[in-house]
Amino acid sequence: MRKFLIITIPIVALALFVCIMLSGTFLKTSLEHKDDFPMKIESLMEDIKNEDWDSIVTKIDELEGMWNKIIHRIQFGSEREEINNLSKNIARLRGAAQAKDRTSSLVELSEAYHHWKNIGK
Amino acid sequence: MNEGLVVLVRGIIGFFTLLILARILGKEQISQLTFFDYITGITVGSIASELTVDLSSRAWPHWVGLITWMALTYLVRVITLKWRYLAKVLEGEPTIVIMKGKIMDDVLKKMNFRISDVLELLRNKDIFDLNEVEYAILESNGELSVLKKAEYLPLTPKDMNIKVTSSGISTELIYDGVLIEENLRQMNKDKKWLMGELKKHGIKDVSEAFLVTLNDAGSLYVDKYQDKTKKVKDIGDYKGPF
Repeated sequence: MRKFLIITIPIVALALFVCIMLSGTFLKTSLEHKDDFPMKIESLMEDIKNEDWDSIVTKIDELEGMWNKIIHRIQFGSEREEINNLSKNIARLRGAAQAKDRTSSLVELSEAYHHWKNIGK
Repeated sequence: MNEGLVVLVRGIIGFFTLLILARILGKEQISQLTFFDYITGITVGSIASELTVDLSSRAWPHWVGLITWMALTYLVRVITLKWRYLAKVLEGEPTIVIMKGKIMDDVLKKMNFRISDVLELLRNKDIFDLNEVEYAILESNGELSVLKKAEYLPLTPKDMNIKVTSSGISTELIYDGVLIEENLRQMNKDKKWLMGELKKHGIKDVSEAFLVTLNDAGSLYVDKYQDKTKKVKDIGDYKGPF
């Protein structure tokens, strides 16, 4: 029994470490529908193209809330730069939306999506 | 992002990974480390520290780096155990720097070693006169092994034809006030015998003894918790507070 534990504990510990370190990739995907970050970005893209600014501001709030929840899940398996950059994109997107600047909004959203894809990779 | 929490988790990952891998690698004594082992140790330590605090990149690549270095170290160790020639290539081999009392200047030059370095290593071995040295060998771990000339070797009981008995290795019978019954059985003794011996030293209960050892010759070493040393010699000149 003791020998079994001596071998098992390190293997389980190493496996757990690997799971934690690689958790960013799978924990960033939605656990429930209201957590679907890429879908929210797509929906925002459509609104920006249609210049529906009232809906855009509401959706940015939802996107930010969603992102703040996701950060807690992915923080152990992601790099800080990607997380910070995506947070910055959302802040800049909010400014662009308030200024009703279609081009800047699309640029920020597109970059945010790029950072999203890179998280955990 | 809670950076403190992330560093804590990554620190735990780094610490236990190093602990597990170090145990797998085995226990080569620090004093036997070759120059390459030393560099490997520094590199692995550096990777582990980056894994813990470098939040600008993920923990995973650092961890893979750590595993790679440890795996390669293990691989090289296994290969050098089986292949003597490669062991000599990778770890170097001992070099004679003083032979029959003569300093091998060419060898020293080849190794970029100064004679002052050899003298220093000799002094570390309590040798202050080169005339005492028959052979000096620079080991691959950088230590100097010295064979003194016969006339400078210490006198041994064998030289005097004196018969001596081996004292053997000491075995702990009581450690920190706790009786180790397994060791007592190994020494073919029982608790009754031990208590009788302890009584001679004024010990009535096992918990009064700090350390008790017994060697193969049957000699008992007893140290009590309450040592009756009245005047404790202080070799330090620092007044305190600790």
